[in-house]
Amino acid sequence: MKKLFLFLFLWTSGQANAHQFTPTYPQLTQSHIEGVYKTEMVLFNNRNDIEYYGLSVFDAEWNPIRFASESKVIPMNYQERKYVNIYIREKDVSSALYICSKSKILKNVKDPSIVASRICSKLK
Amino acid sequence: MKKLLFLIPTVACANAAVANIPINGVVESKCVIITDTDGVYGNPTADKLSTTAADGGVVPIIRYDIITADAYKAVVTTPNSFSSSPSLDDVVEWTSSTSVGDQSVAEMSAFETNKVVYNNGHTTEFDLTIAGTVWFDVSSVAEYGYGKAFPAGDYTALITAECIAQ
Repeated sequence: MKKLFLFLFLWTSGQANAHQFTPTYPQLTQSHIEGVYKTEMVLFNNRNDIEYYGLSVFDAEWNPIRFASESKVIPMNYQERKYVNIYIREKDVSSALYICSKSKILKNVKDPSIVASRICSKLK
Repeated sequence: MKKLLFLIPTVACANAAVANIPINGVVESKCVIITDTDGVYGNPTADKLSTTAADGGVVPIIRYDIITADAYKAVVTTPNSFSSSPSLDDVVEWTSSTSVGDQSVAEMSAFETNKVVYNNGHTTEFDLTIAGTVWFDVSSVAEYGYGKAFPAGDYTALITAECIAQ
């Protein structure tokens, strides 16, 4: 019986669908381009129902801030980890506060109740 | 002599056994959002879709792993419209709630006490002041018109689970 519970626990814990976005408190540093600052974020997709994540940058009032990255929508395979550089103009550095990643759900997904996950790191 | 021959490799092995091999690891501060249980709408009456078990639904459960206390707040927003559904020509009334379910630390019951609800009850904010794992249960009920039957078809609604660094 104990073995059955252990098996069920291991089986169900292996089903986890997780979204991670780190670090919690990234720091902007001067990039190779003058007047542009950058930080590196790590995105990990352990959600097998999600193939894309969107990136965004906000100020303290959640107004969007212009930024650049390799792509603003990142295609992610299941259990894939990606390093993403976020570039912000020097004039926006003082107002930029949050860097967020949000799962993108495809229109053809027909699950009755879907969870969109968003994680926001705070610039220090 | 035989004993000496036996002793030499034994001592050599004993010396090798004391070598220390370090394993280094870093657990960084992070918040992990895990969709634990997908919700399902039950259809107890023609005009109602509900995730509660009493109505034949399945309550969606979202798990948050909190590595560092006081680093994040959790924000859960329940649906106030269908992301896909058959054509609806009448008003849908939405009611919902988000509450703390299971928890890895008993003190996490404070999350429930201190939660802040706004956006007509659709958004609930929890201060993640204790490290560990917490599961949030989300209920969502949609009622159509004045006792009007929902048209047949697939209905999909979206819950947004957020982790915002503080």
